[in-house]
Amino acid sequence: MIAFFKDPVLLAAALATSLPFLSMATILIFTRHNQRLSASISIGAVTTSLLCALYLLVTLHSAGAPVQYEFPWLLADQLLIPFGYLLDPLSLLMLTIVAAVSFLVQVYSVGYMSGDPGYSRYYAFQSLFAWAMMSMVISPSMIQLFIFWELVGLASYLLIGFYYEKWSASQAGKKAFVMTRLGDIGFFLGLIILLLGFGNLSILKMNEAAQAHAISPHLLTLSALLIFGGVMGKSAQFPLLTWLPDAMEGPTPVSALLHSATMVAAGVYMFSRIFPFYSGSPEAMTMALAIGTITMLLSSTMAMATYDLKQVWAYSTVSQLGFMVMALAAGGYFAGVFHLTTHAGFKALLFLCSGIFIHEYHTNDFREIGRQGGRNLVIPMICMTIGALALSGIFPFSGFFSKEAVLGVLAMQPNRIWLLAGLLGALMTAYYSFRLIFFMLFPKGGIEAHGGRNGASPGHGGHEEEHHGAIFWCMAVPVMILAAITVVLGFSQSPLEHFLVGKAATGAHTLAVEGGGSHAATEGHSPVHYMVLISAVSMAVGGIAWAWLEFGRKKATQEGFLRWLPKIEQLFARRWYLDDFLRKFLDTAIYSGVTSLFTRNDRRIIDGGIDGICQFTVASGRLFSFLQSGMLQYNLLVMIGAVALVVLYFLM
Amino acid sequence: MHITYASFPYLSAILLSCVVGLLAIMLIPEERKALIRWVSAIFSGITLVLSACLFLAYDKSLGGLQFAEKASWVPSLGISYFNAADGFNLPLLLLTGIVFFTGVLTMWELEMRVKEFFAHYFLLVTAVFGLFMSMDLFFIFVWYDVSLFPMYLLIAVWGHTRKEYGAMKLTLYLLSGSALILPAIIYLFAKSGLHTFDILSLMQPGIFTAEQQKFAFLLLYLGFGILAGVWPFHTWSPVGHVAAPTGVSMVHAGVLMKVGAFGILRVAIFLCPEGWQYYAQLMALLAAIGIIYGALVGLRQTDLKYVIGYSSVSHMGVVGLGLATVTAQGLNGAVFQMFTHGVMTALLFSSVGYIYDRTHTKMIPELGGLSRIMPVASTYFIVAALAGMGVPGLANFWGELMVFIAAFKVYPVRGIVAVLALLVTALFMLRVVQRAFYGPGNERYAQLPDVTFCEGIPRMILVAVLVLFGLYPSLLLDVIQSASIPFMNGLPR
Repeated sequence: MIAFFKDPVLLAAALATSLPFLSMATILIFTRHNQRLSASISIGAVTTSLLCALYLLVTLHSAGAPVQYEFPWLLADQLLIPFGYLLDPLSLLMLTIVAAVSFLVQVYSVGYMSGDPGYSRYYAFQSLFAWAMMSMVISPSMIQLFIFWELVGLASYLLIGFYYEKWSASQAGKKAFVMTRLGDIGFFLGLIILLLGFGNLSILKMNEAAQAHAISPHLLTLSALLIFGGVMGKSAQFPLLTWLPDAMEGPTPVSALLHSATMVAAGVYMFSRIFPFYSGSPEAMTMALAIGTITMLLSSTMAMATYDLKQVWAYSTVSQLGFMVMALAAGGYFAGVFHLTTHAGFKALLFLCSGIFIHEYHTNDFREIGRQGGRNLVIPMICMTIGALALSGIFPFSGFFSKEAVLGVLAMQPNRIWLLAGLLGALMTAYYSFRLIFFMLFPKGGIEAHGGRNGASPGHGGHEEEHHGAIFWCMAVPVMILAAITVVLGFSQSPLEHFLVGKAATGAHTLAVEGGGSHAATEGHSPVHYMVLISAVSMAVGGIAWAWLEFGRKKATQEGFLRWLPKIEQLFARRWYLDDFLRKFLDTAIYSGVTSLFTRNDRRIIDGGIDGICQFTVASGRLFSFLQSGMLQYNLLVMIGAVALVVLYFLM
Repeated sequence: MHITYASFPYLSAILLSCVVGLLAIMLIPEERKALIRWVSAIFSGITLVLSACLFLAYDKSLGGLQFAEKASWVPSLGISYFNAADGFNLPLLLLTGIVFFTGVLTMWELEMRVKEFFAHYFLLVTAVFGLFMSMDLFFIFVWYDVSLFPMYLLIAVWGHTRKEYGAMKLTLYLLSGSALILPAIIYLFAKSGLHTFDILSLMQPGIFTAEQQKFAFLLLYLGFGILAGVWPFHTWSPVGHVAAPTGVSMVHAGVLMKVGAFGILRVAIFLCPEGWQYYAQLMALLAAIGIIYGALVGLRQTDLKYVIGYSSVSHMGVVGLGLATVTAQGLNGAVFQMFTHGVMTALLFSSVGYIYDRTHTKMIPELGGLSRIMPVASTYFIVAALAGMGVPGLANFWGELMVFIAAFKVYPVRGIVAVLALLVTALFMLRVVQRAFYGPGNERYAQLPDVTFCEGIPRMILVAVLVLFGLYPSLLLDVIQSASIPFMNGLPR
């Protein structure tokens, strides 16, 4: 106990991670009926967490080696499960991101969720999420990471299905949980194999051992592949990607929190957490690269065919996650983490802006929002455009820098196909982002009269005051902060890189590939680098121009090229039939296949057999009961008959 | 094995408080229902406190058998009243205390034949306590059969949904189990030549030959396995769960199934370790099938209690798998899972009982939207369902984790099958939660009240236990390990 107070670093780490848990418990048990108090407790807790995280970041900024605390949590036979904190540049960076985004989202939610009957419940779940996510981020061992990983899944299930009265929301929550759990089973099996084969799940030890080739290559590859299952589930990689767009059923701040900035980034975070471990297995890396690429391309195409504001950003999240996985799998540790960082900022920005529009116009269809005058909300519109520019990778927004870094790493790959795929992805990203922006900025047929809007949203008659009321500013201020971060963050690339890689804290991150990759993106002046830079920028600009041609300019038809290819549009809109396939599989193989077979086996064969035995017993008892009829004449008859038989026998 | 005799007879005190409670209930006139309830609650409360004290007073560093009480009863046959607590039965005694007390509180609203109900209920629980704490084969058998009789009546009289069928089926199954156990016990008694039923004396190595152990183990495994819901002898359990009244379902699924698994551990494994090693493969196979089978069948049920019944089959399979690994880790996990599953199922049945009492249905399609109407009652169910899915932070996660790690080491393929069942369990639990509790509120039940604070007490206790051991598993595990590790080290290799 005393150790806690003597060591401010430990105290800060413990406070940062445990306060949200306490706040959840308090809200659920005591303050359920007091909405205002619940929100204050939750926000207070997350604010403290954020301050602690910043304190840790500053204090340990120049600590040479990772700081690790471990306490035994469970000692079962030879299996030791520790609970503790691992503070190194990566976890500190991620902790700060998570705390910051959680904080902004919770502040924003004060406005967005006001008047909701489940207000307290919402904040309890938010706290649960913050607790699970932060404890996961600073886990020193894979088992602890897995435990909190599962809790993150639970929190997202609860938050996605927050509007549980809506069938689609509860369905989406269930889908998210089950699909991520499918990946987690791979993760879990991978951990068990590693535990049995290697005997230690401490992250630092694993990374060291993989670097020193102390783990047999077969074991390494097998467990790396299985653990990647967890990344596929949580970070929505192909083929487990369809839960993420559905998860937009939750309240919009939740989408911002979970499905853009933090929860889905957990998979990528885990990948980078044990990056040295992965880099010991080229096979696993190649597979990850392929899966990341497929994911990125597929989801980009899906985003081109939807008219749902949040869905576009959801698909773009999936494709950006694909980018991060590609970068990591290609050996670009820094590029991947950097893209994760910038993406957290601008994607949260995009979602929170969307939230303001949705809150205002009560529709998710961006054509409708544009028609009702979305661009009149000047602050969110500007911020959203900033976010979209960052997403497309336009200088000087943060996305530009990180995307350059990613593409730079891809360019180092001997096979050019990855780079080409990346560039194609960049083109599509710019296209679909600005398709949305132009729809909202330049609605075809102009903006409808104001009256229509008010009529469409009864109960929100007092719009004009509300704009400048506390609720609006609650939402607008976090958005502006995020926009500012998006503008600035890109320029922190070299200090960040120095912080993350320069120390070489978690083992030797600076691999040969790595060094080549990220350095080329930042300071290398090879011709390849310029080629990548020029082509990437031209792709982004080209995508925007393309969108302008189709949707932006005055005479634009706003139909898009996909209109002429209905088959393909259908394919994109139906998510490449991934969902249909899954549904069909569940229906035929599980529901009407195995389960019904087993149920019938239970009823007919097992129960039928047992009941049969019982009936046989009863029937035979009935049969034998005839012997005991109590009729003297029958008894005499049998007796005489028996005597006659005996006599007959002796006579023969 | 190390034995410490009791300075205060905790174990007898537990039995005594049950028996005194039973007698007190018998003496109260039938009309005074409130008094009967309060007496039941007080005596079950005393039992709970005693079992909790026992759990905390156990010296983990010393290990072995503690609080032993021994008195010769029939010297000519070597039968003695021998009770003791070790790391294996302590969690189960605590579990019984918890389920007993919360079960009494859950049945608070019972109006029909209150006196008889609680009298039978006390008798049932006395038998279960006696079985868990006994170290004498004869007593174990007697307690086993004593528990059957009140069980039949409790289901057949106070149950619903094909209650006679369910009660009869359950009784026949369990009696056939006891018909397998009895010859095995007599066989072991005769072959040992020691003229004693004392488990401690009989478990010394070298008393039984390998062949004898194999024979007796199979009988004991099957006999107790029926009670533990081992596939394919599981069908009595969902039917019985469904037919039983709420409090009895809690004891039935929460404690009685553990009696089976505990019997396998205490009798079959203790006395016939070589038979155990010989049949471990078979045990693991049946357990793995049970895990995935129970989960898949549960996916299709439309009756809330059937769903829970099949989830019990699946979860008890995890216990069986742990026992089948023949490792200390597996035993740890199995006993841990017995405890946590008992608490979790009790919570599930308790919350379903509340809902059933109000809505008069437990068919999932007829429910729906209950979260809006009775949010607190639904929360209890959802917490239990999450525990059943093995969400970390709730106690069940740890048991499953340990069992899966142990099982994977010994039986990789069966381990994978069992781990895959996690997915199916998640699917069917969430499906039930979605259909029964989510969705638009059901007009028919809109006027129904939510759980009040007092009514919620039993469920709060159960949730608190799940969370406590979920966050602080060592509290339970260290006790279990004080028995499992010495036991495994003592086995002849």
